[in-house]
Amino acid sequence: MLLTSPVKIAGRTAPSRVLFGPHETNLGRGRALSDRHTAYYAARARGGAGIVVTETASVHASDWPYERAPLASECGPGWAAVVEACGEALVLASLGHAGGQGSSAYSQCSLWAPSAVADAVSRELPQVMGPREVAAVVQGFAASARLAVESGCAGVEVEAGAGSLLRQFLSGISNQRADAYGEDKVLLLRDVLTAVRSAVGEAVLSLRLSCDELAPWAGVTPEHAAAIAADVADVVDLLVVVRAGPYAGSAYRPDAHVEEGFNAELCKGIRGAVAGRVPVVLQGSVVTGAFAERALSDGVCDLVEMTRAQIAEPALVAHLRAGTAPRPCVLCNQACRVRDARNPLVSCVGEPRSGYETVEPPVFVEVPPGQGTAELPRSPAGREVLVVGGGPAGLECARVLALSGRPVELREATGELGGAVNDASLGAGRARLRQLTDWLADECARLGVVVKLDAPVTPAELTAWHGDVVLATGSRPRQVASLPALVEAPHSGDGGTSASAYPVPVLDSREALRGPLPEGPVLVHDPVGGPVGVSVAEQLAAAGHDVRIVTGDPIVGTLLSLTGDLADCNTRLQRAGVIRELKALLRKASDGRALLEDVWTGQLREVPCAVVVDCGHRLPREELYETGTPRAGDCVAPRTILEAILEGRRRALELSGVPGLVHA
Amino acid sequence: MTRYTHLFTPLRLGPLTVANRVVFSAHLTNYAQDGMPTEQHAAYYAARAAGGAGLIITEEHSTHLTDWPYEKLIHGFDPRVIPGYQRITEAVHAQGVPILAQLNHNGGQASSMFSRLPVWAPSPIPDPLFREVPKALEPHEIRSVVDGYAQVAEHCMAGGFDGVELQCSHSSIVRGFLSPATNHRTDLYGGILRNRARLLLEIVAAVRAVLGSDKVLGVRLCGDELIEGGTTIAEAVAVAQLCDATGQVDYINTSIGVATATLYMIEASMQVPPGYAMFIPSAIREAVSIPVVGVGRFKDPVQADRALQAGQADLIGVVRGQIADPDFVRKARAGAASDIRTCLSCNQECVGRMGLNRWLGCIENPRTGREAIALPLPTKRKQRVLVVGGGPAGLQAAVTAAERGHRVTLFEKSERLGGQVPVAASVPSRAEFLDITRNLVASAQRTGVDVKTSYEVSADFLLGEVPDVVVVATGAVPQRPPWASDLARVVDIRDVLEGRAVPQGKVLVVDELGFHQGTSVSELLADRGCSVEVVTPGMVVGQDLGITLDLETWNVKAEAKGITQTTDVVPMGAAADGDRVTVSLQHHPTGTDVTRTVDWVVCAVQQRADDALFHALDGAPFPVHRIGDCVAPRRAHAAVIEGHRVAVAL
Repeated sequence: MLLTSPVKIAGRTAPSRVLFGPHETNLGRGRALSDRHTAYYAARARGGAGIVVTETASVHASDWPYERAPLASECGPGWAAVVEACGEALVLASLGHAGGQGSSAYSQCSLWAPSAVADAVSRELPQVMGPREVAAVVQGFAASARLAVESGCAGVEVEAGAGSLLRQFLSGISNQRADAYGEDKVLLLRDVLTAVRSAVGEAVLSLRLSCDELAPWAGVTPEHAAAIAADVADVVDLLVVVRAGPYAGSAYRPDAHVEEGFNAELCKGIRGAVAGRVPVVLQGSVVTGAFAERALSDGVCDLVEMTRAQIAEPALVAHLRAGTAPRPCVLCNQACRVRDARNPLVSCVGEPRSGYETVEPPVFVEVPPGQGTAELPRSPAGREVLVVGGGPAGLECARVLALSGRPVELREATGELGGAVNDASLGAGRARLRQLTDWLADECARLGVVVKLDAPVTPAELTAWHGDVVLATGSRPRQVASLPALVEAPHSGDGGTSASAYPVPVLDSREALRGPLPEGPVLVHDPVGGPVGVSVAEQLAAAGHDVRIVTGDPIVGTLLSLTGDLADCNTRLQRAGVIRELKALLRKASDGRALLEDVWTGQLREVPCAVVVDCGHRLPREELYETGTPRAGDCVAPRTILEAILEGRRRALELSGVPGLVHA
Repeated sequence: MTRYTHLFTPLRLGPLTVANRVVFSAHLTNYAQDGMPTEQHAAYYAARAAGGAGLIITEEHSTHLTDWPYEKLIHGFDPRVIPGYQRITEAVHAQGVPILAQLNHNGGQASSMFSRLPVWAPSPIPDPLFREVPKALEPHEIRSVVDGYAQVAEHCMAGGFDGVELQCSHSSIVRGFLSPATNHRTDLYGGILRNRARLLLEIVAAVRAVLGSDKVLGVRLCGDELIEGGTTIAEAVAVAQLCDATGQVDYINTSIGVATATLYMIEASMQVPPGYAMFIPSAIREAVSIPVVGVGRFKDPVQADRALQAGQADLIGVVRGQIADPDFVRKARAGAASDIRTCLSCNQECVGRMGLNRWLGCIENPRTGREAIALPLPTKRKQRVLVVGGGPAGLQAAVTAAERGHRVTLFEKSERLGGQVPVAASVPSRAEFLDITRNLVASAQRTGVDVKTSYEVSADFLLGEVPDVVVVATGAVPQRPPWASDLARVVDIRDVLEGRAVPQGKVLVVDELGFHQGTSVSELLADRGCSVEVVTPGMVVGQDLGITLDLETWNVKAEAKGITQTTDVVPMGAAADGDRVTVSLQHHPTGTDVTRTVDWVVCAVQQRADDALFHALDGAPFPVHRIGDCVAPRRAHAAVIEGHRVAVAL
């Protein structure tokens, strides 16, 4: 395999052609890298990553884009620790300045940018950089690069991608200067690369370049980018091709609504433009070994960035080498995209230890994969465990128990494994979710878990069971009668409508996705604002239904700000003709109409409605539960895949005698 | 000799006597680090103690590891908090002021994002903000919750607190149990009020057992949740009576609203009348024998004294008033109430920063949140400082420089001080915003700044003055957006607010700023009888009003005033249509073009920095600094911070 074979970069050998790219983690302490960073990167290096690029550090104190953003001048010891822990992998320090896309909230100083153009997202006007500020940035890049190399890094990566001052100078949207840096928009990039090259000598100099701002009227286009790449090809040792622009916040690392490897064409074009003068890296939702290998053999690129794939599976490359199946990244962005004011820590729905390497206990990892050698001693063959429920919680629990050497029987009441994920993956743009439960099911089979389908467990069976038990029985829909909006209509003037008198059918999201639906207009009721309501509405619209989605929020999909799909999903819904009923409570539905009430003004309005699809919260399935029985996932409280897998694993580790959480 | 009849009367709270009736009641600060209280906490509370507060109640301390709804919560359940507690209590006691710790478990008003544990609540009913289904507590978990309160009370005793307050009001597992909206249990903890209050009473008993008889125990209750099916005043009174009847509770604190559903009423902005929540302590006070605290936008000591006089409460919580001016009480007692830096209730840097996980600050007080960082000592040599521009940046620079002993002259080219503040405050519902410059102008007078209004200065003039330093704070000027061409009926909000344009008939307000500018002018024009539509390229009109808790009131007023709102549209061009203007808009999600023909178009768009003077002083033989909007047009807090920073560094 090309992908897993070593490659020479600037005279150094990267052990594979797989790059772990820079991304926000919120693992920092103050503005330095922490021991959590070290453990996080080390796990990927141990797993076979060829190049590890650390979280982008600000090259100058004027830049503090998010609270835990590293500051290069404070990163020396952190970089040294990461290098020490990463062994053979080449460690590059990403260096950047977010410019007008930063935040003034932490520095309490004005933002720096080429021109007085407010960022489209923050709407904050920056200060126009004068010669002093420009010089400070160039010097900042050079000094930071010097420190990184002195700290042992194999080199640095200069950030001219998604949130970067260098891109802002390259772009006609943000650079409206009349001076030399406006006449020649590449000048600052060239100044910076020259200064960095001089600072790092023979060390690796990589450039992450936005090659398409998706704003062709004034932004960087692939044609511009090809010229820029050719211009700088001789000074850099590696070129990472990305796309990102001021109006395309999610384009850089979108969720599964965008296909795997979406930058392939762009990357191939840039690779042609540099004509072998510099190796080129393909970035952008590459999550499978097969796609990456094909990109290499088709001449799309020389290396492949697989960041999220390695967040999901730290030992990705080791698995590819061994021919075993890595835990898949499903491109959900639910736990790994952490540019959020709340400072969540990077993690993964499928591998919740990611980002928590120093906190969550390790699972019994086979090294090399598939060879049955455990990182931790296996527990002595203990009592057999009955896992009730074959959703992600039950599957993960069974998998980890089996890894630990316990005999496991998994009983699933329905005819297929996967639980709630099977339904969720029917929603538009969510098909990939199922890859995760499929992988879990395959691993359970490989590890000898006895899986019984169509095998519900009765309380009597549970009592009679000879071994340990873990419940992972999932959730159930709330009853229509418990839809509070439909029961009480205090402002509607007719005293409300009782559930029994309710003539419009109400389906839960799962029934609706499996169809068929009654004829007529569909009202998707989404009090959650997560991915479910949106995907149901999109799916039903795509199937030709006339769809409205009602939410109490001013926009649809509020919780999707975390995954980056918030603006995109509202756009997709509007393009698909879905009518968004915003700031509204569903009060009642009858006679083909639904009554909506404005959440703030109390104004009532009626919309056509033949069927309500409820995408509200669900309730735990607790029939088999008795106080003290171990349980995991939705049967504790219906939440997301992350909690299901985390709790399934914790229950397994507890039964295996592994100490629980390390409390920091 | 003060004119206050009640404010400075001592009061007994159980075993404790407070010297006056002003409470710095509990509020989040985000000063914690890794779950531990910090030096900043100690310095922050000590400043309010030094300023004369009668009683300080700290922000909440989490009582259980299942409770971690936001990153910078103090983990009271972790015994490592005790040294931090001791630092806080020693710093406050050094000023002779008592301090209580607030204990809390946020219950279902949380997510598992930080704890990675199921959220605990009475029933599996997701909170409207966090939207995570909680786990309904099992009996042994209820015992664990009660034990957690007792354990943290022990930590507080070891930490030197004078007592504790139980937050049972707006974001609490106890509120969750008390409220019929969130407690659907059928066991001994659900159903009739006595059952719903069982958890509270168990906690009271457990905590009192830890405190003994010489420490204070308070209970903070919500008087009206303002949600469907929630707690209202009658039940709140009944719960207060249950507390009183235990004989173990020393006072009742009050609040209104639920943090995650009706926060805009808890920390009400200037859109809500002062004293709006006093019906709650009034009703409770009539029904109990223990003192009652009232809260809700108390901005000046006279207002507080009147509420006491009227018997509405025994103590008054003044939070934002003391965030803005730590010396609120001291100045009132000294008969210098007019020197108090009055809170604006703008919510921009206190509430607004809290919601974004940032440390608590204040739009007017650049030292709030920075108390633990010592200012550099003033220099021996006093400098002659010339400040150009009398907006908030220039005024703050002048005041701070004068306070630090420099000789300061401030030049303002117009006849009035305040820059854009009086303009922004000219809209009726924004009038209190004017206090920011009223306070600064008063300080300038007090500190001896030589203020020259109607005095335009040039670079040559400044060069001729041979000052030690010049501070340029010349502000910003409106600029026409490129799509507006030169149509006379396309005007800026400042043209309207400053009276240069008087739009009538049908008006299109184009809002690219997403804050008060567009919505204020829309309201003003609607009040004058215009038919107003406000359009924005954003997904929500007035998006940042959400941060200051003004979005709800804006929407209610917009509806009442017939203002329509259109989102996701970008103006592409404007053309004359007789006397009228036709604006073409693109709905960017779908690429559809729409037009509007109106009588006037009012633009709330980015301004241009007025930096001509700064650049004209390039090469001057003395240092020249620029601050505020002439660096980059931003909001008022940036002007104040930069004005203060530049003056401190002189």
